[in-house]
Amino acid sequence: MSDFMNYLILGVTRGSMYALIALGYTLVYGVLQLINFAHSEVFMSGAFGSFLVVHAVVGDGSSTSGVEAVLVLGLGLVSGALTGAVIAYVLERVAYRPLRKRGAPKLAFLISAIGASFLLSQLFGKLFNRLGNNRFPSYFNADRTLFHVFGARVTLLQVIIVVAALLLMLFLDRLVSGTKLGRGIRATAEDAPTAALMGVDIDRTISRTFIIGGALAGAAGFLFGTAFVFSNTMGFIPGIKAFAAAVLGGIGNIRGAMIGGLLLGIAENLIPTAPWTGTAWIGIQWTDVVAFVILILILVFRPTGILGERLGRAA
Amino acid sequence: MSTAISAASSTESDAADLVFDVRAITLRFGGVTSLDDVTLQMRRGEILAIIGPNGAGKTSLFNSLTGVYTPQEGEILVAARPGDRPQSVLGKKTHLVNHMGVARTFQNIRLFPALTALENVKVGVETRQKSGPVSAMLGLPWQRREERESTRAAYALLDRVGLAGRANSLAGSLAYGEQRRLEIARALATGPGVILLDEPAAGTNPAEKRELAALIQQINTEGVSVLLIEHDMKLVMSVAHRIVVLNFGKHIAEGSPEQIQRDPAVVAAYLGTSEAEAEQELESHDQPELRTIDISGDPLGTDDPGTSAPEGSRS
Amino acid sequence: MNRRVSLPPAVTRLMACLGGSVVLAMMVGRQQGSQQDYGLAFRESVLDVRIIGFLLLGVLAFLVITYREVVTPYVRRPGVRPLVVAVLVLVAAFFLMKWYDPLGDGKFGTLADAVAQTSGILPLAHVFFGWLWWVALIGLPVGTFVAIAIRNRRLAWIMAGLSVVLAVLTLVVHARSVAFAGGVDHSFGATTAFIGFLILAGAGVVAARSQEETAKTRAFVEQVMAYRPGLPLIVLGILLGLLALVLATWLAPRGDNLTLVDTSSLFSGSGLDGLATAVLGWLAYVLFAVVAVLGAAAVWLRSRALGWATAAAAALSILAVLYTLYAITDLAADQGYGTGTGPWQNLGTGGWVLCIALFTVGAGGAVAALQFQGRRGPEGSSDGVAGRLHDAGRSTTIRSLALFGIGLALFYPPTASGFWQQSLSTTIGVYVLLAIGLNVVIGWAGLLDLGFIAFYAIGSYTTAYLTNSLPVKPPSWLALSPLWAIPIAIAVCLLAGVLLGAPTLRLRGDYLAIVTLGFGEIIRIIAVNNPGNFTNGPRGVSDPVPHPVIDLGFVRFEWGGTSLQYWYLLLVLLAIVIVLFYRLEGSRLGRAWAAIREDEVAAQASGVNTTRVKLMAFAIGASTSGLAGVFFGSQVGFFNPQNFVLNNSILIVAYVVFGGMGSLIGAIAGAAALTWLPDFLRDQVPAEDRTMWIGAVLLIMMIFRPQGLIPARRREAELTGLAGHDIAARPSVQAIPASEGV
Repeated sequence: MSDFMNYLILGVTRGSMYALIALGYTLVYGVLQLINFAHSEVFMSGAFGSFLVVHAVVGDGSSTSGVEAVLVLGLGLVSGALTGAVIAYVLERVAYRPLRKRGAPKLAFLISAIGASFLLSQLFGKLFNRLGNNRFPSYFNADRTLFHVFGARVTLLQVIIVVAALLLMLFLDRLVSGTKLGRGIRATAEDAPTAALMGVDIDRTISRTFIIGGALAGAAGFLFGTAFVFSNTMGFIPGIKAFAAAVLGGIGNIRGAMIGGLLLGIAENLIPTAPWTGTAWIGIQWTDVVAFVILILILVFRPTGILGERLGRAA
Repeated sequence: MSTAISAASSTESDAADLVFDVRAITLRFGGVTSLDDVTLQMRRGEILAIIGPNGAGKTSLFNSLTGVYTPQEGEILVAARPGDRPQSVLGKKTHLVNHMGVARTFQNIRLFPALTALENVKVGVETRQKSGPVSAMLGLPWQRREERESTRAAYALLDRVGLAGRANSLAGSLAYGEQRRLEIARALATGPGVILLDEPAAGTNPAEKRELAALIQQINTEGVSVLLIEHDMKLVMSVAHRIVVLNFGKHIAEGSPEQIQRDPAVVAAYLGTSEAEAEQELESHDQPELRTIDISGDPLGTDDPGTSAPEGSRS
Repeated sequence: MNRRVSLPPAVTRLMACLGGSVVLAMMVGRQQGSQQDYGLAFRESVLDVRIIGFLLLGVLAFLVITYREVVTPYVRRPGVRPLVVAVLVLVAAFFLMKWYDPLGDGKFGTLADAVAQTSGILPLAHVFFGWLWWVALIGLPVGTFVAIAIRNRRLAWIMAGLSVVLAVLTLVVHARSVAFAGGVDHSFGATTAFIGFLILAGAGVVAARSQEETAKTRAFVEQVMAYRPGLPLIVLGILLGLLALVLATWLAPRGDNLTLVDTSSLFSGSGLDGLATAVLGWLAYVLFAVVAVLGAAAVWLRSRALGWATAAAAALSILAVLYTLYAITDLAADQGYGTGTGPWQNLGTGGWVLCIALFTVGAGGAVAALQFQGRRGPEGSSDGVAGRLHDAGRSTTIRSLALFGIGLALFYPPTASGFWQQSLSTTIGVYVLLAIGLNVVIGWAGLLDLGFIAFYAIGSYTTAYLTNSLPVKPPSWLALSPLWAIPIAIAVCLLAGVLLGAPTLRLRGDYLAIVTLGFGEIIRIIAVNNPGNFTNGPRGVSDPVPHPVIDLGFVRFEWGGTSLQYWYLLLVLLAIVIVLFYRLEGSRLGRAWAAIREDEVAAQASGVNTTRVKLMAFAIGASTSGLAGVFFGSQVGFFNPQNFVLNNSILIVAYVVFGGMGSLIGAIAGAAALTWLPDFLRDQVPAEDRTMWIGAVLLIMMIFRPQGLIPARRREAELTGLAGHDIAARPSVQAIPASEGV
């Protein structure tokens, strides 16, 4: 049981990060009907951006006081979100808008996004480093056990990640359903030409959608970097999985992305280890394969996902 | 209006020889009923026009007849070519329905714009050919023969619609009326027993309309049954043997052009005014000098909302 | 929406230009950054003095874009385009090309330093390498530009004349210096500079002769290609031939550089047989002259027969030259002259360049002949005279490029260094094959496959299995030599294509991309995780894959001696694949692919079985990776899952897109160019940065030239899009049409 809970908690932690990234995919898909292939690099840039800020504040790290740690955490989240937002905005202006103005076919968008993704990932590698084991300075005891659930240890960091992710998702949900900007986004997702006729500035709405999605992914980058290691190529696998999560929940659907992220995180941790059987079933080296297989199965059998598509309708 | 009565009368003697036998089909999208218990029979060799205001379900009917949509209730039997056994089209894929001898054009022209006019038609011709990739790679004799045959057939068809001189122009570069005719040529290229024309006269000028009417009658005399959706009453009245009127997805009238013109239900459906007034309106169409009134019930001239239907449903 | 006042477009543009220059500054520079100081690289690339240079570049770009109207008339003047090309070529010759192989990095500067310190060398060399080169490099283009700008014909003529003088001088000085120094030299720097100066001279001549206000380069090229097809090839061939006959090294048995004349005298009275002696002594000149005159006459008289005669004469001459090369090296090896142990060793570039030259002239003749043949049958060209001219010019241009490429592919590799031979037959060749396969899927059928490398992996592992190179051994009757493994590997890849395609091809484009990407990763992870000890995990194959062997009883040939042997095997395979696929493109299946790519609904309504057609694209595309797998596996003998990472999948996509989606020649050219470039720039661009640059190329390509280098006719119209067609104006995906029937 404790094994099961351990993996479940791990799954929820990872899943909430996938959900944060997935929201970016879903938002952009909602307004543009395009998969933003470079979104995973936005996530990566968030980790680097927040790292630079956190590193500048706490140096190489020493356990700081509680208040300070909370401040630094907040700072990290904000700086990660900012970096992500800026990168996503630039991405939209450079890799998407010129093509949109020309009415280019979908394939062209995908390829330009892939190009941007390569460029970003390698540029960060060149500027910072290409090592795979960068760590955030340890300014608080992330590993401290907070409480136990059925014998499984829940650490401070896990709680922070899940809570931060939930808060951000809540914020987004309010934003999209309750504000003028959110209405613009939903209108654009529903029917861009009509929205334009009704006075919605499509270009600006799309830009802002990218910014919001980028901010969430950047924050997720910070959380991910804090929990694990970060590198210039860290975006790829979580990016794909987040995409899978978005599709699982129904791409274009905000709540779907949240649910999909959590489900995928749990599934990929529980299925390959199968803790209830008492033996390592196929082993954790198959985690990624499980995630990909889930993705393929959803796409093949239920491409509209759990909650169905359509940003406008669901949110 | 007096043309090809002979064809119509000959089919009356053999009432069982139906091209389409549509039995009480109902098609729903979510809560919207697009076709409501529609029954209609199309006889071999006739030109049958389907008219009705925008959103009456005309294009939905076409899509149901060609296998794009599957109605939830009812049955559609087709025996497109003379001597065919009636077969159901329900649940059949579009290309199989095409192989059964049902060809169609689209309301919003759907050519292959980057292929030449000739290639567009060849695509249609070649769906009935047999040679596979290996024989094409090796340039085997029968493949070469088929290639020559398809070129010849395609040229003949282009000649028939008056486009032989434009054979090597890109389809996208043709004038609007030429594109309409090219689409008809492509549909004919598949060797149909029945051809479904979805507003072939939309956006064409009076001269082109006259040519089109002649073309439709010529196609018909060559043994192809024609099912026609058209808003241009003058064209419908001049070529159609029989007319079926749909409104709000319901079959509301059926009969010869003369009968339809006098049918009060039709008049009411179109004009939504008092029957006497409407009758007056309709009668005025018989005067050739008077320009056809657009009785599509669509003052803005926007497209039928059903146009984008096939795209979404198949992807 | 709350409305802000938008920035004026000029400000946005300036910011974009400056931003671009900052990014460029970050992209160019040393590999930096460490876990001790993360900000190091950023500071050095952005806060250093050099940023000023980049910012100036950005400002320049901004000015050029903003004041386009002012600049354009100058840019459009006749002669400016060749001038720009010439400058680029000269700069490339100076910065990128090698001038003398045996010396250090072999660049111009190194050679110039060496010459400065050497006495006894041609005095002109001191002058040339000392200052003349610099004066010419800067002075001639500037002078030509001034002549163009102030429209001074006399100055233009003078500049053109000086450029020709410099061109000849460059070659002569370089050749004499190298001859003086000795050592095997494969460098092309001087030749490139020669060409650059000639182009500059051309610019001068154009400027002096032209009466036009604006240049009509494209029209001019099309006109030349339509009315004098083959002329460019013939001119190029004659230039190359003169180089080969007069200056180039034919034999370098002892590190010396013997020209044709030297070689001839070396072998006089050495028992060399008649034909070879004749070729060395006089026949080579005569043959070349005959071919050149025939070619020129064919173009001048617009004669089809003469065109074919040129091609035939060229073919015979090439055979004679090849025989001679064989004979002299065989004799040299026999008699122990030099270090050679068998035929074909210690050859210089001369003979091969002569072959290229002959091939080029012959190709020119063939192109001319094909063009004069006219177009038969109904499959003509676009309407109108201009359209026909355009089409004829275009097809001739592509034909010329393709034939010249074939000439290079046949005769250039023997002159290349070992590094290049290796690179050609492993990286470049294999990726060209893969790109051809992926072009079927992406370019023709319009399906974005991001997991293409998986098929390559399947092909490679199949080969390894069949040739006993994996821990799991095949039954003895199935253990095959690599050549026999080809059909099975192809069949397995076809099958894999069908298996992946069948469930997924219903998906729309972007979903398909993701699914294929996932499939690619699954295959790689399987290879790493080594289930059933089949793949031997991350260590790669357990035993080297054997080299292919042809054994016909009386002849037996085993590959593996040199990369060159593999290169020619690859050429044969490529030729077969290209011919087969070329036919496929024009067949009913090719048209059906184009149809589903353009409008799937319309294709279905026209009776095209879209699932089947897509499946065929997948399977046929995958089959080339089976071939590539066999070739690659047996050549390198060893591979591991690292060869099949996702990056490589995306790189192949990049190659296809770069070359021009849907264009067979484009895919080949794109793959060749983009695999060649990193190797070529390996001294300039760190290997780690390659993906970055490839990404930048993809991005820029999609923004400015989505149709690629050599666009396919069918694709060009699609990809450039229709201006003003905002995506907002046509929502491409709608779910259920809720409005239907309302």
